[in-house]
Amino acid sequence: MKQDIHEYLAELEDIPGTRIYTASRARKGYWINQFAMSLMKDDNRKRFKADERVYLDAWKLSEEAKQALLARDYNRLLDLGGNVYFLSKLFSTDGLSFAEAVSTMTDMTFPEYRDMMLKGGRSPVGNRSIKGGY
Amino acid sequence: MARITAGVASSHVPLLGVAVDQGKDRDDYFGPIFVGYDWTREWEKQQKPDVVILVYNDHASAFDANIIPTFAIGCGESYKSADEGWGPRPVPDVEGHADLAWHIAQSLILDDFDMTIINEMDVDHGLTVPLSMMFGQSEKWPVKVVPLAVNVVTYPVPSGNRCWALGEAIARAVASFPEDLNVQIWGTGGMSHQLQGPRAGLLNREWDNKFLDMLESDDDAARYIPHIEYLRETGSEGIEMVMWLVMRGALGRRVKTLHRHYHIPCSNTAIGHIVLEPAE
Ligand SMILES: [Fe+2]
Repeated sequence: MKQDIHEYLAELEDIPGTRIYTASRARKGYWINQFAMSLMKDDNRKRFKADERVYLDAWKLSEEAKQALLARDYNRLLDLGGNVYFLSKLFSTDGLSFAEAVSTMTDMTFPEYRDMMLKGGRSPVGNRSIKGGY
Repeated sequence: MARITAGVASSHVPLLGVAVDQGKDRDDYFGPIFVGYDWTREWEKQQKPDVVILVYNDHASAFDANIIPTFAIGCGESYKSADEGWGPRPVPDVEGHADLAWHIAQSLILDDFDMTIINEMDVDHGLTVPLSMMFGQSEKWPVKVVPLAVNVVTYPVPSGNRCWALGEAIARAVASFPEDLNVQIWGTGGMSHQLQGPRAGLLNREWDNKFLDMLESDDDAARYIPHIEYLRETGSEGIEMVMWLVMRGALGRRVKTLHRHYHIPCSNTAIGHIVLEPAE
């Protein structure tokens, strides 16, 4: 059962508060993700921490991407084609747990987010479709 | 002849690895998760599988944004634990089964699955956390592992139907391996979770359990669940559940459920675990 690619991609954009890592985002965010990947090496983490701006300047990143990385603005980075599994190398470089870093993308503080998770997480009700509103 | 004797599925949340490595797995937070694996740890001791075909996804560890294989099989002799940004997990190296892996790779290619072959790579939490869940802490893993990496990160990821069919082809490949081996197939990742954007934290107990029910049944309806349903219902990272379908597809039409466990939450994620045996 083959689905039309345009229909398929349009559906992926119809989820509230979500950026699916499609080919177009992957293309756009290629160097953001490759930069993040470099933080898997301890040497690179040390060099990055020593001077973030200098480290970022060595990568083919737009000024906007550099600013978003310096500010740890993860929603902005998702818009610029960052992917959370790549960005997680930056979470760990900062010594942040996955949950804490993830909470910064929501409208909650980390304690509020943690509390929501303990109570069963965010409900899918009303969060499934932008167009459908269900 | 080699044979697939069982299928196991489990979430592979990195924090579970941290809990094991730091001995927190019986505390108030992690205890209710790990208690659901006690049965399986005992069972694995009795089963003594020779090899596990471990279906997982790489989380930007072995593969960067450059090369994105849809289905890749590890044919190497051994694999080290990846440094995911805070140093490698202190777990033993993972020993491969190169003979079986190459046999499966060749068979799958002849069976129309265009596999990517990996000789050397590091393996991340997607592969090592399930080993820790099933075997606990050890000096040496008690099984050899054939890593089977699925792209569930860059879209389009493979369809559920394709994953299921890959499982069927893996079962055929294993059955034609001349050596007498007890082989298990594990599907990992999931269940519901979303790690990104304002909708992060989405969990769906009801849908997850419906999915577990589907895996237990003789019906193969689960292979036709479209990507958009996983994404809407179980969060953007819930798509990892397509990897459970590779496991289910390898077990044949009828299965017997040996064990099932579900717990919310572990960090951002719903934990699901099931052990199935082929019943035909
Ligand atoms: Fe994962």
